Amino acid sequence: MILDFNVNGRDYSIEADARARLIDVLREDLGLTGTKEGCGEGECGACTVIIDGLAVNSCLVMAHQTRGKRILTVESLKQDGELDSLQKSFINNGAVQCGYCTPGMLMSCKALLMRNPNPTEHEIREAIEGNLCRCTGYVKIINAVKEVVKESKAPSEEDHHE
Amino acid sequence: MSNMIMKTPASIDELVMCLKQSDDNTYLLSGGTDLIIKLRNSKIYEGTLIDLTGIDDLKQIKYNAEYIKIGAAATFNQITSNTMLIKHAKCLVQASSQIGSTQIRNAATLGGNIANAFAGADAIPALIALDAMVTILKSDKTTYTKPIDEIIKGSRKNTLYKDEAIIEISIPIANDNCISAFAKLGSRSRVTISKLNIAATAQVKDGTIEAVKIVLGALGTKAFRALSVEKAIENKDISEALYTAFENELVKQVDEAIPNRSSLGYKREAIRGLAEDVYFDLFGSMVRKVKCHD
Ligand SMILES: Cc1cc2nc3c(=O)[nH]c(=O)nc-3n(C[C@H](O)[C@H](O)[C@H](O)COP(=O)(O)OP(=O)(O)OC[C@H]3O[C@@H](n4cnc5c(N)ncnc54)[C@H](O)[C@@H]3O)c2cc1C
Ligand code: FES
Ligand code: FES
Repeated sequence: MILDFNVNGRDYSIEADARARLIDVLREDLGLTGTKEGCGEGECGACTVIIDGLAVNSCLVMAHQTRGKRILTVESLKQDGELDSLQKSFINNGAVQCGYCTPGMLMSCKALLMRNPNPTEHEIREAIEGNLCRCTGYVKIINAVKEVVKESKAPSEEDHHE
Repeated sequence: MSNMIMKTPASIDELVMCLKQSDDNTYLLSGGTDLIIKLRNSKIYEGTLIDLTGIDDLKQIKYNAEYIKIGAAATFNQITSNTMLIKHAKCLVQASSQIGSTQIRNAATLGGNIANAFAGADAIPALIALDAMVTILKSDKTTYTKPIDEIIKGSRKNTLYKDEAIIEISIPIANDNCISAFAKLGSRSRVTISKLNIAATAQVKDGTIEAVKIVLGALGTKAFRALSVEKAIENKDISEALYTAFENELVKQVDEAIPNRSSLGYKREAIRGLAEDVYFDLFGSMVRKVKCHD
């Protein structure tokens, strides 16, 4: 069965099994192995990708349900060889330890910032409640997101003071 | 090659064509948050999946003077941000906002929650308290509508035939005196979502509770109305003493629902916390808050 969809800005038309989940197609057919499978049951969030602007567990979506949709995986963050500000901030804030949760965590945070560039701490916590991290205790991750928000706001606040 | 096929109807008419060919190995697929896990755990690799998420009509939330009509494939994320539902169906919005995680709410649908008929499902008690009606499409293209409670048979069992699909959930728009609330106990983790939940709707006039519905979930095989609790507070004036009566009656209800189970002691305590949450969410502005439980 042919699946037409757009992943990370590129149109694909591929043959995909009806049983395949989105994560299977991303990893096995498209070779996008940045997206991880942890639990396979919607609990851990390691497999989080963005579908039409919304964070979704790619282990709980059938590949063919994404026909005609735009998908963003963690590979989309790096542009022209440069890491996204969110990725840099994760590194600077020590929000990456073993790194297993990181791709999913980044995509949950990215989905939040795409819809809401100025989230409160509560909104950040809500956005990552479906992402388990056994290493960082979440605080460093939250700080990393806060830092990106602060940096992106900085110029406009200066404007305001002038 | 796989023996699984996926049908992708784009309209109700196309869905009817798919339903006509349904057999025992046909599965309706909405958000997939229950079904995909079930298929994998049961090692089901054959059959037909009918994906409902490509039918735009099923994803709309509309209203007229009498009803808010939620398409079966509307997600919990859509429900929590709908202003009509926030105004007229607060308990459903509260239940929806506490389901799973952001990722789950972005995919999981109201129709899937009902059809899955899990005893601890969060939307079902809220829908019972709101007198919701469920419209079902048959493979001959006719539809029928039933109260939500009549669709749920028991744990993981609904009354639908293989060639039927839930297409719409209608919530009557009550007058402005009608208020509602939902509370649940349980962690984010799926294995524990079923612990206990409660939904309530009430009509209040001049400090008197004129009508009330209290629905408990995760206590038996399906959510049910706690009639004795309703009776204990109906036609009474809102007060602290009434809160005590409400809480005691709820504890009794839990005792009756699970007489010999090991979880009784725990649920007995838990219901007190939920009783307080719901009572003060409903009537808090009308009564001074009583002292908290330790
Ligand atoms: C990590 C996690 C956390 C969760 N947390 C909660 C929670 O807190 N509270 C809660 O209540 N639930 C929770 N769930 C369960 C699940 O998300 C909900 O039950 C959800 O509403 C199911 O909807 P869906 O669209 O994903 O259904 P699907 O998985 O697509 O389908 C579920 C069942 O319903 C049938 N079906 C689907 N749509 C229709 C239709 N329109 N007509 C007839 N039959 C249909 C399917 O064939 C299947 O049997 C959780 C699940 C996960 C994985
Ligand atoms: S692998 Fe998808 S949520 Fe854990
Ligand atoms: S960094 Fe190890 S799980 Fe999050």
